[in-house]
Amino acid sequence: MSDPTLLRVENLVKHFSVDRGMFRRPATLRAVDGVSIAVGRGETVGLVGESGSGKSTLGRCIVRLIEPDSGRIIFDGIDVLGLRGRALRAFRRRIQIVFQDPYGSLNPRMRIGPAVREPIEIHRLAPRAAADERVAQLLQEVGLDPSYARRYPHELSGGQRQRVGIARALAAEPELLVLDEPVSALDVSVQAQVLHLLRSLQERRGLTYLFIAHDLAVVRQMAARVVVMYLGKIVEEAPARAIYTDPRHPYTSSLLSAVPRPDPTAPGRRIVLTGDPPSPVTRPSGCVFHPRCPHPLKDDRCRTEVPALRKVGGSQTACHYAAEMDGIGV
Amino acid sequence: MTMLLAVRDLTTTFETADGVARAVDGVSFDLAEGETLALVGESGSGKTVTALSILRLIPEPAGRIAPGSRIEFAGRDLLSLSPRELREVRGAEIAMIFQEPMTSLNPVLTVGTQIAETVLAHEAASKREARERALDMLRLVGIADAESRLKSYPHELSGGMRQRVMIAIALVCRPRILIADEPTTALDVTIQAQILDLLTDLKRRLGMAMILITHNLGIAAGIADRVAVMYGGRIVEVAPTVDLYREPAHPYTDGLLRAAPRLDGPDRPTPSIPGSVPPATDWPSGCRFHPRCQYAWERCQSEPPLLEAGPARTARCWLVDEPARRKP
Repeated sequence: MSDPTLLRVENLVKHFSVDRGMFRRPATLRAVDGVSIAVGRGETVGLVGESGSGKSTLGRCIVRLIEPDSGRIIFDGIDVLGLRGRALRAFRRRIQIVFQDPYGSLNPRMRIGPAVREPIEIHRLAPRAAADERVAQLLQEVGLDPSYARRYPHELSGGQRQRVGIARALAAEPELLVLDEPVSALDVSVQAQVLHLLRSLQERRGLTYLFIAHDLAVVRQMAARVVVMYLGKIVEEAPARAIYTDPRHPYTSSLLSAVPRPDPTAPGRRIVLTGDPPSPVTRPSGCVFHPRCPHPLKDDRCRTEVPALRKVGGSQTACHYAAEMDGIGV
Repeated sequence: MTMLLAVRDLTTTFETADGVARAVDGVSFDLAEGETLALVGESGSGKTVTALSILRLIPEPAGRIAPGSRIEFAGRDLLSLSPRELREVRGAEIAMIFQEPMTSLNPVLTVGTQIAETVLAHEAASKREARERALDMLRLVGIADAESRLKSYPHELSGGMRQRVMIAIALVCRPRILIADEPTTALDVTIQAQILDLLTDLKRRLGMAMILITHNLGIAAGIADRVAVMYGGRIVEVAPTVDLYREPAHPYTDGLLRAAPRLDGPDRPTPSIPGSVPPATDWPSGCRFHPRCQYAWERCQSEPPLLEAGPARTARCWLVDEPARRKP
């Protein structure tokens, strides 16, 4: 029997050097700072956070668009970071990424057909004569008429372009899709169409998803498990139900509380965080969330001691006072 | 309630490579003193062009406000004002904030200078008075350490702080109407919550009216007294906020509400609206929503007017006439 875990990320670290001008030493931006996650076969894990949380950097490390500084990425039993040459190319086929803005990731001068055919040719997945037939099938599978193969990206609506982005990812016949804010740029009615498509593709092809998003309400529709990141660290990880009904980290509670509800009779926000998230360059000591934390028990320990992820209730959470969260939840 | 702003039959067109786009096509609405009206719609619905038309910020000659359109503000017709008269209204009586503050702030001037500049443009104030006003405004919009922030440049501020500065510039002359065009769309959700709370608080304290333009039904629900839903360059439904969310009269409003992701919703995707918004150069004939509407029948080949759909509410849909057809 194969391992039920398809992807395992262990203690991944990616720091960037930020130039601060001629006379100052470059600063270190800790984009991803010791993150571990596991994604099971056929599962959807939601990766949630605001700008600067490191969620997109983590996604790009997993598909090896960015080389992490340290840590391990194990995909289907293979140590991904050790791969070179032919083995690396074979691995790349198995994990594909879909970006937020398909307009930025499609070549504006390339028609849709050749764009979708490219991965088939690179990975030699079909004989030349059969490639066009595959492209037509893929377009149909994502809900586009095969005649779209002759069009250019600018002739398509945002939703259609995202369907092309998905078709192109599927062309490589991957097992895991990293979906980086796949519906954030789309209108609400079209968002729902693309989410439905992703769901049905998952069922039909047995795909595994890492769904990266800032919108907790969208993640709720897709993910069985949710990982919440803040300033390069995981602050909470739990089954979706626990995250939404019994969050154990004050940051998760604050995020949930901040989501505007399409219901004018809903009670007002309970928590409004003050201040901006600090930049990942000047990270706070102790718990990275402490300067903005609304937890009533916040104290010196939070300012000095980094909390480790530990099990509290149904969650893994990195808060010294996670067990005393009742009463500040949303 | 006195009417502050009355928009009548507003039509704004643009010359494009594909023909004339009727981006806003016969839009009428009122705004009362102190009221918050949300203009809600998806991209291409005409909500931003409506706002830009009110301030006559439509780039000519490609764009133009069609003859017959009327925009009355406090008894004056904004469309017949001279450029000088118009400048007196813009920024002083009707102010606007945009989605991306970085592109509307001047990168080479300090925050203090930019706020003071607005005062000097509209009022007979001395430079010192203008500076004092700028400082007061920064405090009012909740910027910590306001004194030293006066000397900051936009790039030194976070996205949330820049939007606060934009709000300070917009409100420094105490306008009677603030038009906020997707003011939080570029911000993180925790910062968005701060800005929305700030706008609600300032609106109450300063007693101004507001037109909030948003694609997000959650934001409109939390802040608006009334909601106007736009589709295809037209208003398709107007209602008091609570009524609209409780019982949407137009199938498009209904579809949007069903599609909106919710924290307390089911753990599967929400129902979508089939198809996509047609281009403004090629609106469908009849009801503009009928090609995407599950209820459409022959009558929808002709376009309904805004029909009375209850107390203080209207909807541009024949279902208001024939409610029995709403049964699935």
